[in-house]
Amino acid sequence: LLKHYHGGHVAIRLALGGCVNRPFYRIVAAYNKRARDGKYIEQLGSYDPLPNIYNEKLVSFNYDRIKYWLACGAHPTKPVAKLLGLAGFFPLHPMTVTNAERLRRISETKSIQPPAAEEGQKTEQQPTESA
Amino acid sequence: MAALGVTRCFFRRSHQLKKVETKYIVGLGWVLRRHGSVDSQSSNQPSLESQKLMFSDEKVQSILTRITGLDLQKVFRPVKMEMKPPSYHLMTDEQLSEATKTAEEAARQRLQMPPVLPERKPICDILAVDKVLDGLEKSKYVFTDITFNVPHRERFIVIRESDGTLRKATWEERDRMVQIYFPFKGRRLTTPAVFKEANMKVVFLEDRHELLLDHCLVQFEPDSAEYKQIHHLTYENIDQHGKYDLLRSTRHFGGMVWYLVSERRIDGLIIDMIQRDLIHDAESVVELYHMMYPQCQSAKEASEQQASGIELLKVYARTESKQSGYIELALQVYPQISLQTSG
Repeated sequence: LLKHYHGGHVAIRLALGGCVNRPFYRIVAAYNKRARDGKYIEQLGSYDPLPNIYNEKLVSFNYDRIKYWLACGAHPTKPVAKLLGLAGFFPLHPMTVTNAERLRRISETKSIQPPAAEEGQKTEQQPTESA
Repeated sequence: MAALGVTRCFFRRSHQLKKVETKYIVGLGWVLRRHGSVDSQSSNQPSLESQKLMFSDEKVQSILTRITGLDLQKVFRPVKMEMKPPSYHLMTDEQLSEATKTAEEAARQRLQMPPVLPERKPICDILAVDKVLDGLEKSKYVFTDITFNVPHRERFIVIRESDGTLRKATWEERDRMVQIYFPFKGRRLTTPAVFKEANMKVVFLEDRHELLLDHCLVQFEPDSAEYKQIHHLTYENIDQHGKYDLLRSTRHFGGMVWYLVSERRIDGLIIDMIQRDLIHDAESVVELYHMMYPQCQSAKEASEQQASGIELLKVYARTESKQSGYIELALQVYPQISLQTSG
């Protein structure tokens, strides 16, 4: 059905498909107001979030057509922008960097805590053995 | 009867491999053009490398096509395919000769030799190092460019590792990704078990070298290491057991001759050709050998004596070959055979 949107824009976003407990995304140029999995203008690629036997997540982009839609004024969503940043097409998304730093901080605090906890446990065991 | 058989075979619909072959030949055009341009660049520099004989030279190709022969019965032999009732055509002699000519054209198309390319160098290009992303993801991301008009060799296939480095994909990863997004008919994602050494030996015992090489052609790229290794093993097995006739009217014969000539092991082949009464083919092989190694003793003697025909074979047998006794024996027997067949 040819629908004319007032004030809408084209978005490059992920449309979910697949089966139960098995997601699969298609990277799609669609009008902003359409349903997530509904009628789209053009498929620009795919993204498989589950890693395969070689521990790879497969992503495909049709760079030629992505360039065309970006030139037409399409808005990429956050996950698409992050993927394109990881691919090297866009600069790295700031949230990717932020999440990486947050994860590193958590893992550092975790690595400091267990040694302290182990020392505490060892000191507890010695008094109990002695007593 | 034989003529009827030829026309019936010709009017069959093309079988699986033929469709695969035409696509393959079209797709290889890019590779051949690239390697052709490399040759033209090197020929401008007067160095030893430019004088090295290439498989794709016109003289070499003409010799190899002549040696391969054109046995219509073998090229169009019945192949396992969909059941279809055969079609019979009533023809005059002229129509029959025209049909035979078109059959020969089709056979020549089918006997096109797959190229012998130098082995591809591994890709190890790093595009970016982002230490920031270290430890963010446990698995790698593989980004493939699915633009339609780009040749597969020029496609951007890039991998973001879990430690943040962005690098170009290796040849094996590239082949896998291209096969996933642009599947080539008959090609598998994982290597079939036929290409393991033990299984290949079984195939060789059953004399199915041609089928193995056809399968290898469909599965691998012509400049990959596995393709070369499988072909070398097949050729060596054929040379060991003297089964040259298995590949005689197939597209792999030229490649086999090229391999044996570059390894300097053409004695068995020459003896086999003399025994089958193919003296001209044997002379062409020795000619090719001299073209490839112009510094060797037999080449120098042949150029001094301006030898041609059986003299060329005798010069080669005297100087370079390791089985000179066998060759001279075969040459002695040959005139007797030719007298018997003519008489």
